[in-house]
Amino acid sequence: MSEIGALRIGAFSRAVVWRSWRRVAIVAMLLGLALVACLSLGKVPLPPHELRAALMAPGSDIGLIVWQLRLPRTLLGVMAGGALALSGWLLQQVVRNPLASPDTLGVTGGASAGAVCYLAFLASTLGSTWLPLAAATGALTAVGLVYAMAWQQGVTPLRLVLMGIGLSAMLAAVTTFVLLSSPLSTTLSAYVWLTGSVYGSNWTEVLRLASWFAGALLMMVPLMRFALLASLDDALAVGIGVRVQLSRGTLTLLAAGLAGIAVAWGGAIAFVGLVAPHLARRLVPGPGAAQIVMASMIGSVMVILADLLGRTLFLPLDLPAGIFVAAVGAPFFLGLLIWQVR
Amino acid sequence: MTTIAAHELSLGYQRQKILHELSLVLPEGRVSVLVGSNGCGKSTLLKALARLLTPWQGNVILEGYDIQQQPTKAVARLLSLLPQHPVAPEGITVRQLVRLGRHPHQGWLAQWSEQDERKVEEALTRTELNAFAERRVETLSGGQRQRAWIAMAVAQDTPLMLLDEPTSFLDLAHQMEVLELLASLNRESGKTIVMVLHDLNLACRYADHIVAMREGRILAQGTPHEVITRERVKEIFHLDCQVIDDPYFHTPLCIPFARREDA
Repeated sequence: MSEIGALRIGAFSRAVVWRSWRRVAIVAMLLGLALVACLSLGKVPLPPHELRAALMAPGSDIGLIVWQLRLPRTLLGVMAGGALALSGWLLQQVVRNPLASPDTLGVTGGASAGAVCYLAFLASTLGSTWLPLAAATGALTAVGLVYAMAWQQGVTPLRLVLMGIGLSAMLAAVTTFVLLSSPLSTTLSAYVWLTGSVYGSNWTEVLRLASWFAGALLMMVPLMRFALLASLDDALAVGIGVRVQLSRGTLTLLAAGLAGIAVAWGGAIAFVGLVAPHLARRLVPGPGAAQIVMASMIGSVMVILADLLGRTLFLPLDLPAGIFVAAVGAPFFLGLLIWQVR
Repeated sequence: MTTIAAHELSLGYQRQKILHELSLVLPEGRVSVLVGSNGCGKSTLLKALARLLTPWQGNVILEGYDIQQQPTKAVARLLSLLPQHPVAPEGITVRQLVRLGRHPHQGWLAQWSEQDERKVEEALTRTELNAFAERRVETLSGGQRQRAWIAMAVAQDTPLMLLDEPTSFLDLAHQMEVLELLASLNRESGKTIVMVLHDLNLACRYADHIVAMREGRILAQGTPHEVITRERVKEIFHLDCQVIDDPYFHTPLCIPFARREDA
């Protein structure tokens, strides 16, 4: 019996792999639990009944903690993690390599260079309001450059990866140079940003990120089936009527945009874009919408749990989420490499 | 019925010209086989016919229109392609792979219609892959995998199928299995089949029409009896041979000798 079910309403039809969606539902519940944990735990731990009271009364003392501190921070983490994971998933499809991510393709590097330059040269006059824009501009410029350098009557996945790695190295040099030649205060704030932190989020930022994220998701809906087909080799894709170069360019741009906005508000959180899509592939084998949703939820869980650890483990210190993502992500990445070589 | 033809087609890679003002009309509803030695341009011609390569000059005419001027999705409803070494996405099952063949018939709204489902089931039945539908493509044997690729093309439901060496890397039994499947698709569904084959004797047995190529030009074309003669094989492959009548199928049977001019 086929494991593929069908969802058909009038002219609308989709194939549905129910088993995959059941797994998605389980991870959604985990995400829900993580959200509750993030709202409850912290300098002032709130047991369930107090959390409920706090949610009901935004004006009270504990209400302020939940509504003004923990909730915006957690939502920002959910979106930043989700966007990074989606970006990584898209890039892995486009370059057909499970080791691709916004980090290896120069997206994060570009965002970092943009942000650090902004902090060093412009922040003193303009404040930090435009930092996200600088980071996003950096990300898109980097991807534009990678794409232009890889272009040779079209772009092949291998050339994209190679150019991405090359440009990342260059951008890292620029970032380090600017960091070292700036005053100490700038270096410190830049350093926290580079590690990736959702510290000090407020509702204005949450709403800004949410509107960008929603825009990117809207773009993703019609592009999804091309993203699923991107892992086919070019000859096969042309054979079934895909405009390969157009699809590849649009998907890369979307991936850069997603990583750009994530990094702009969440800082350069490494590894999420690599690990989350990979886990999603393991849990939901075979390309499909369930895998995409799974990747984004895993990304969200990773970032908010990392942030939770960062702000509770070493109280009163508030450590950037990026540290804990890397602490778990790096060993996973190495394990993945070892496992793949064998 | 769907016709495909090349008209004064020239193209190549980088600066090297592979095909030289080549014109060819392939018969509808028949099995055509392109033969020739390595590097003669037969795969290049097949890729050009499948619009994978853009002509330098001349054009490929599909149903009376220049193939390059047509939306690629509209072309994909007329013509399916099995490239030489297709690579399946990691972890994909046979059924998922075959489903991909339905892409040119789908839009944003309808991505799994009842017709899609029926065509996929038919393709699986046709290629006798029902029992393997949930298996991952990478776990299949060579012959099964090749059938899975053909099933994807069958699900695409096109009147014309192009195949680049569909039997390479298969043992003799599996080569026969694939060729029998293609012959039955031609016989029972009236599909026009154009393929590149290396084995001359199998080409003779399964082809209605043989196109022999050398150095980017067509040397001869016609029925196997017309094309595969001792003199022609010498021209095509620089190989001496004896061509006899296959005692069973009565197609030309080529017995190759050592490669020397004076044999």
